[in-house]
Amino acid sequence: MIGTSLFRWAISYFAVAIAWLLLAEVLIVAGFGFPNHDIDGPDTLVVVHIVTIGWLSTALCGALFQFVPVLVARPLYAERWTLPALVLLTLGLSVLLAGFLTLGGHLNGPRWLLPVGASLLIAGFALVVANLGMTLWSARPLPGPARFVATGLACICVTASFGGLFSLVLSGTAIGAQWPDLLVSGVPIHALAGLGGWLTFTAMGVSYRLLAMFMLAPDSDARLGRLAWLAGITALAVGLVGGVLALWRMTGLNLTLLLAAAAALLSLAAHGRDVLGLYRARKRRALELNTRMSLVALASFVAAAMLSAAFVAAGSFASHVGALAFLVAFGWLTGLVLANLYKIVPFLTWLETYGPVMGRVPTPRVQDLVAERRALKWFVLFFAGSWMATLMLLVDAALGFRLAVAVVTLATLGLSEEFIRARRLADVAEPLRLPTGAAAPHLLVSRN
Amino acid sequence: MTEFIDVDVRPILRAGGEPFSIIMAALARLSPGEGLRLYAPFKPIPLFDVMASKGFAHREAELEGGEWEIRFMPDDGSVEAAGPASAAPNDDDWPEPAVRLDNRDLDPPEPMVRILAALERLAPGQTLHALLSREPVFLFRELTKRGHQWRGGFTPQNEFYQLTVRVQA
Repeated sequence: MIGTSLFRWAISYFAVAIAWLLLAEVLIVAGFGFPNHDIDGPDTLVVVHIVTIGWLSTALCGALFQFVPVLVARPLYAERWTLPALVLLTLGLSVLLAGFLTLGGHLNGPRWLLPVGASLLIAGFALVVANLGMTLWSARPLPGPARFVATGLACICVTASFGGLFSLVLSGTAIGAQWPDLLVSGVPIHALAGLGGWLTFTAMGVSYRLLAMFMLAPDSDARLGRLAWLAGITALAVGLVGGVLALWRMTGLNLTLLLAAAAALLSLAAHGRDVLGLYRARKRRALELNTRMSLVALASFVAAAMLSAAFVAAGSFASHVGALAFLVAFGWLTGLVLANLYKIVPFLTWLETYGPVMGRVPTPRVQDLVAERRALKWFVLFFAGSWMATLMLLVDAALGFRLAVAVVTLATLGLSEEFIRARRLADVAEPLRLPTGAAAPHLLVSRN
Repeated sequence: MTEFIDVDVRPILRAGGEPFSIIMAALARLSPGEGLRLYAPFKPIPLFDVMASKGFAHREAELEGGEWEIRFMPDDGSVEAAGPASAAPNDDDWPEPAVRLDNRDLDPPEPMVRILAALERLAPGQTLHALLSREPVFLFRELTKRGHQWRGGFTPQNEFYQLTVRVQA
C-alpha cells in the first residue's frame, strides 16, 4: 500500500488542453472546416484533431497520470516521462496541423509536415502508453475500472498507427502510395478506435471510480462494470479486427461496423445501468455540481447512441455523421471532462495548498474553493449550446451551428475563469485563505 | 523444522473474491506436522482465532507495501523454536489506540482532515485507529511528510478500510 502523490504537471496538462479547446471553438465560430467545408477535407481535419488530440487526449492524459495510481494503488511508473510526453504531443499536433493547413492550401509548407507531426504524436502517445501501461502492469490482476483504461491504451495505439499510415498516404510519399484505398476504409477504424476506444471507453472506466467516490456509493462489487467492459471490448474487437479484415478483403465493412455498434450499445446500456445503480445506492443525497454535470454529459452520450441507432434504421446515418460526432465530442466527452475538471482542479489545489497545514490550523473545505451557482450558469450555457449546435447540424443550418458554438465558447471561457479562480483561491474567505505555513499555488504547475 | 504450504490470497482479495474457503481447503490438504504460509494484503486478525481453534499457532511478519506473511503451524509447543519470521516489527510494539475514529460516512476529504487534526493532539508514540470507506490514498502522502507510521488494509469482506497511525516518536 502506498500513498499517491500529486502529479506535478496535471494542471499544466489541463491548461494546455483548455487552450486547444478554445482555439477549436473559435475556429468553428469563424466558419473554418465542417459544415462549411467537406467533412473529410483538410480544414475539418484541423478542427477535429485540435479537439480530439489537443483538448480531449491532453486532458485525459493529465487526468490519467493523476488517477491511474489511485485506481490501482501503485505509484506512477515514471513521472519524469510526463513532461516530455506533453511537449511531444503539443509539438506533434502543431506540426500535424501545419501539415493539414498546407494540404488545404493555407500554408506553403513542405510535404513532410504530416509524417513528422504524426511521428512526434506517436512518440508522445508511446510515452503515455508505456508509462500508464507499466503502472497497470505492476498492479495485475486489474480492478474493473483499470481494465477500461488498459483497453483504452490499446485503442490509442491502433488510432495512432492508422494516423501514422494516413500521414504517409496524404503527404504523397512512395510508401503511402502502396495503400491508395487506406483512407477510404481506414478512417472509420481510426475514428472508432480514437473516439470510441480511447476517449469514450477510458472515460467510462474512470467514471466508475470517480462517480462512486463523489456520490459516496459502494463500488467494491467486483461484478460492477463487468458487462459494460465485456460488451465494450467485444465491440472494439469486432470493429477493429473486423475492420482490418474488411480492409484487406475489400468487403464487409458495413456489416462489421453494425455488429460492433450493437455490442457498443449493449456496453453503453450496461454502463448506464451501473451508473443508475451507483446513483440509487449513494450515501450523499445532494450531489455536487461536477457529479450532476457528469450525469448530464452521460445523457448526451445516450442521446447520441439513440440518434445513431435511429439514423441507421432510417438509412440516413452517413448524412448525419457530422452532427453525431459533434454531440459525442462536445455534449458527451467535452462536457464530461469539463465537469470533472471542475472537481479535480479545486481538489488538487486544495490538497497542494492546505495539505501541509491540515489539522494544525483551520483550513477551508474543498467546496469553499468554488462557487457552484456561478459555475452552474456556464454549464447550462455549455450543454444548451452543444445540443443546439447538434440540432443545427441536423437541420443543415450552418450559421445557426456557428452561433450555437459561440455560446459554447462563451461557456468555456466562463468555466476557464472558474478554474483560474480556484487556482488563485479567489473564492476562499480571507481569514482561511492562506493560513500560516500555507503557500499560494502557482497557476500552471503544482508543487508535489 | 515445519514444512509450509504457501497460500497467496492477495490476488483473490484484489479481485474482490472471498479467500476463506480457499484457506480452509488448503488447511484440509496439510499433512500432519505441516504448516500454512499465508500472504495477505492486510493482517488477517479474525483468522487467528479460527486457526487457533483448529490447533494452529501463528507467526506474523509485515512485508513491504503493508502486506503480511503469516505462518500458521501446528501448535505442539515448537512455535517458539521457529524463531521470528522476519526482522519487520509487528503490531505488538504499538500501544493501544488513544483515539478511535469512525469516518466511514463522511464526505471525502473530511476523513483525512479529521485524522490529521486528531493526530496533532496525540503525544509522540501514541496511536490512532480509524475506520474508512475507502483507502485514503491522499492521506498517506501527508502522513509520510509528517514522519508518522501507519498500517492499514481492507477488512476481509472489503467492507471498509482499517487504518492505524502511530505519531512520530
